[in-house]
Amino acid sequence: MDALIMQYPWLNEILMGFLGLTWQHVVMWLIGATLIFLAVKKDYEPALLLPIGFGAILANIPHSSAISQVVGEEGFLIVLYKAGIANELFPVLIFIAIGAMCDFTPLIQNPKVMLFAAAAQFGIFATAIFATIVGFKFEHAASIGIIGAADGPTTIYVASRYAVELLGPLSVAAYCYMSLVPVIQPPVIRMCTTQAERRIKMGYEGTEPVSDTTKFLFPIMIVVIAGMVAPISVALIGSLMFGNILKVAGVVDNLSRCAENELANLVTLLLGITIGGTMSAERFLTFDVGLIMALGAVAFVFDTVGGVFFAKLLNMFSAKKMNPMIGACGISAFPMSGRVIAKMALKEDPTNFIIQHAIGVNVAGQIASVVAGGLVLAIIPALIK
Amino acid sequence: MDVSAFNKAVTMMCIALPVMFLVIGIFIAATHFLHKTFPAPPEEDED
Repeated sequence: MDALIMQYPWLNEILMGFLGLTWQHVVMWLIGATLIFLAVKKDYEPALLLPIGFGAILANIPHSSAISQVVGEEGFLIVLYKAGIANELFPVLIFIAIGAMCDFTPLIQNPKVMLFAAAAQFGIFATAIFATIVGFKFEHAASIGIIGAADGPTTIYVASRYAVELLGPLSVAAYCYMSLVPVIQPPVIRMCTTQAERRIKMGYEGTEPVSDTTKFLFPIMIVVIAGMVAPISVALIGSLMFGNILKVAGVVDNLSRCAENELANLVTLLLGITIGGTMSAERFLTFDVGLIMALGAVAFVFDTVGGVFFAKLLNMFSAKKMNPMIGACGISAFPMSGRVIAKMALKEDPTNFIIQHAIGVNVAGQIASVVAGGLVLAIIPALIK
Repeated sequence: MDVSAFNKAVTMMCIALPVMFLVIGIFIAATHFLHKTFPAPPEEDED
């Protein structure tokens, strides 16, 4: 073959794809196809998993021009990576969109639910510890733990700073497990609670309507407090709350709608395919990636356990009992987790409507996950010195 | 297992979790304050 190519150099141009093909490329095509299947047939986070799956295929065609790193001829996935992920722009833009979608009213009415959201971040730290036990270095372990924030943009944001080489698998793990919340959380909750606990009813008495002024000042207050504690988190929490203030200000409805729809759709599309573009076979087909996928599951399990047990702990000291299942909604997978838990309550007792409490905790999870991400970002550099 | 990495991860948890609860505590107090200071007028509907 080499002699033929020497004689007819143009053959190399035509056959380079076939000549460069390895079994690892084919495995990555199958992984890409699986992600596309999960998105299309199972409806698992389709907006993310479909572009990620397709990007993974593009990145694993031998000599793919989509990921060319030749100076002056960079592939579009490399250009997008540099423009949106290496500089952390895409996650921040996604947060603006999420902020514009969030309604913090149930949280403002019952701010105590933020405690559950804090407890449900336990998975981040437990997983980081597990990751060091199985051999990851600290900054990689902390980035793996962030899967437990159940928040894709936060995972990408942290990974792009401290685990660039693991960005692809970390993102895939975060989004896959977020879409698997209805599969992961119910059995874990059932193991941690009794049927009587799952049937506890929570009333809505004493909840007062929230004024527009409070809704408007809330995002500013959150940004100032979080920013003072961890200035490094301002980009994340600031963009989330900027999106929200567009929504509650009431004077820029067109901007709010744009953030909620066009911006969210456009950045999600670009983010997904760019993440897929980082999933080259040599980076993805490693033992470490298998460990990361396993640790991702550990993170979600510990988040759920942390939230539920914290609610049970509070019940020990409170006359007014809470349904401990709402503790599990403290993860940031919004609104899926809230809906899953509300459905579980209805399944246990068809007259038990806890949806508003569950959604309140779930919205709090959005804030708590960003705060946790900010704290991790602040602590990593101090500890790796 | 890298003992140094393990110690750092444990240290991170010991610092981050209490700080997290502290920050959330401040959020709760500030949100209560906001909600009490700017109550909804009677005609304003709850969303």
